[in-house]
Amino acid sequence: MKLSETQLVWVIATTEIIAMIGLKITPAIQIAKQDAWLSMLVGGIVGLAITFLAVKLSILHPNQTLIQYSQELLGKWFGRLIVLPYLLAWFILPAILLRSFADFIHLVLLNRTPVWLIILLFIGLMTYLTYSSGISGIGRYCELVGPIIIITLLISFLLNLQNIEWHHLLPFYFDSGEVNILKGSLAPAFWFSGPFVLLVIVSFIQTPQKVLAKSMLGVGITVFMVFASTLMVLLVFGPNLAAKLKFSYFVSVRTIDILSFIQNADVFIMFIWVFGVIAQSSLYIFIASYETANCLKVKDWRKIIWFGIPVIYIMAILIPDETAITLFDKFWTAVVYPICGILIPLFLLIITSFKKKERIKPI
Amino acid sequence: MKHTAKICFQLLLPLFITTGCWNLKEPDQLAFVAGNGLDLTQDGKLEASALLVTPSGIGGGQISGGEKKESFHVMNTTGKNVSDALANMQSMISRVVFAGHRDIFLVGQKLAEKGIGDTIDPFMRNAQSDMRAMIYVVKNGRPQDVFSSEPFFDPFITTTLSEEQEAIGLKPYLAREFVVDVLSDATQPLLPAVSLNPSKQYSYSGSAILDKDDGVKLVGFLDKKESNYALWITNRITSFTLTTYVPEGGGDISLTIDTVGRRIRVKQIDEMIQIDVHLTGEGAIIENNTNLDPSNRKDLLLIQEKISQKTQKSIQQLVKKVQKEYKMDIFGFGESVHQQYPLQWKTMKHNWPKTFPTLHVSVKVDLQCRDSGLANSSLNRR
Repeated sequence: MKLSETQLVWVIATTEIIAMIGLKITPAIQIAKQDAWLSMLVGGIVGLAITFLAVKLSILHPNQTLIQYSQELLGKWFGRLIVLPYLLAWFILPAILLRSFADFIHLVLLNRTPVWLIILLFIGLMTYLTYSSGISGIGRYCELVGPIIIITLLISFLLNLQNIEWHHLLPFYFDSGEVNILKGSLAPAFWFSGPFVLLVIVSFIQTPQKVLAKSMLGVGITVFMVFASTLMVLLVFGPNLAAKLKFSYFVSVRTIDILSFIQNADVFIMFIWVFGVIAQSSLYIFIASYETANCLKVKDWRKIIWFGIPVIYIMAILIPDETAITLFDKFWTAVVYPICGILIPLFLLIITSFKKKERIKPI
Repeated sequence: MKHTAKICFQLLLPLFITTGCWNLKEPDQLAFVAGNGLDLTQDGKLEASALLVTPSGIGGGQISGGEKKESFHVMNTTGKNVSDALANMQSMISRVVFAGHRDIFLVGQKLAEKGIGDTIDPFMRNAQSDMRAMIYVVKNGRPQDVFSSEPFFDPFITTTLSEEQEAIGLKPYLAREFVVDVLSDATQPLLPAVSLNPSKQYSYSGSAILDKDDGVKLVGFLDKKESNYALWITNRITSFTLTTYVPEGGGDISLTIDTVGRRIRVKQIDEMIQIDVHLTGEGAIIENNTNLDPSNRKDLLLIQEKISQKTQKSIQQLVKKVQKEYKMDIFGFGESVHQQYPLQWKTMKHNWPKTFPTLHVSVKVDLQCRDSGLANSSLNRR
């Protein structure tokens, strides 16, 4: 399985933009009010730094995924143990993602279709995408829909220009202050670089010369789009109303009304939403299956899919309500990400550099 | 193995088609709501009314024979809250109520006097709600009377009301902007009002002042002229006509203003906040009954000065009146202080409703006649 460098850019952008615009804008506005766009930029810088760390680590172990080099560095058992939280996260995330998205579709579009069926449809598509061609299929898919997503979003920004009111952004900085701006940037910062997927997918790139620059570009595109969407939401609704709207970007697109002729542009947002969620969940399911196979020393990773998909489906249905998702989100920002996204990769990076020195010494 | 995947995919295909049917609602199974109204009944119950469109009544097709059906139907129901009343309404009709095309919200004066704070939530929460809907207060009337009235241009009045504001030179005030105002730190909502005009039609008749700090309760009304001035200060007007008596010319002059501007400056002098409002407008003379000649520079300057002065006086009076009588910051001065003195605002915020009536506001109006139409001196005098 191969992934080209251009595909890497699109995989990062496609899988992050939609989820972040859908779920991360309102929480940031609740904390940082009219300065939430600043939070997104600050979060973006942190996100780029975390990306740098993850890619650097992966480059040092060419053509090896996380589980392979962690075993090489830490030994068979400890190496596996340290990867356990990652595997858990990769299985739980698609379930949460699917459920929150299915709930959303159920709310605004198909309110008579049961949620389990909506999830089943998505699961079906994702199974097909992942099973048929693995990461190269996902890469090609993202290369195709990524530009569509970005163009659609840019057009939605343009169409909404007539609704914006600049005074919603004032006063700048003083209302929230640096503490709240930083607080608001925390959750986005931990999403921009993706849930540790770079630790794995970099290994599929055959010629990893420009990987670092390309992954930075992917995260950069994401940061820009999320920043621009946050700005649009703020300019249309102002911080007070936006903080009370659950899917604020989606609702802001509904305000588009050009000459009473161009209306209901939210239909298109719905399309790209589906694109993004499919890409994202497929990627996580693929990585979860692939890494589990590596961990259990199963030759054919596709076999794991047949076990993983039902687990994810059942988890998605068993989530009681959205409060559980909010709780998980808090847990993610407070515990999971700092450990899995920063501490463990840093730890592995330090060990790698020590081992390299040791290897050099005897010679 | 690839084969299995293909089969798996093909098995799922029918589901794509069947979900369409699952959620299918043909237009003839829906009752389209064009407008919703809320009011109180005589005995104080919340009453919802709706203007339901009767599609067979508006169809332009050539239906020969038979009577022409009414193009709409108005329904009223009572309930504990908005959704309860609307649910009661649903229980009385054979089609599913669909609010996705709702243009207008009307609030009866009686309900507005009691406060509409508790009725806002469902309209933002409902996923069907149209973000482009407008809101009006019905002055001296009930929403169902407005809905039942027969407009002369359109098949039903909601279309008329949703186009009226733009036609008379106002920026349409949308329901979502009303919610923004209600949630804001200081600005008090200024809702457009409709009432019965002498020609027995419901039309725009100024605005209603509401108190968002007290359950969004109605405090008072401004007439059309006062509303124009207030909307000038809040930057919600695009064009209007001013008619002023010019004593030096011994007659009236009318000026239609189509370029308006405003600037609000906040000054802090010894802990005291002072507001400077600077309003500008450019327009054309459309009627001149004075013996002044606008093509003459001296006369033109005189006309401009007189009109500006008179307008300035009226606006100062309005600001005074709002400060003394209504005590509501409908001009958004608090928001200006918030933007220009963000640090001081943090302490002033809580006391703003008390500060506003004592505020020192100076108004300056600068009007310019850009052109004087096709004539120079008045065609009436020599």
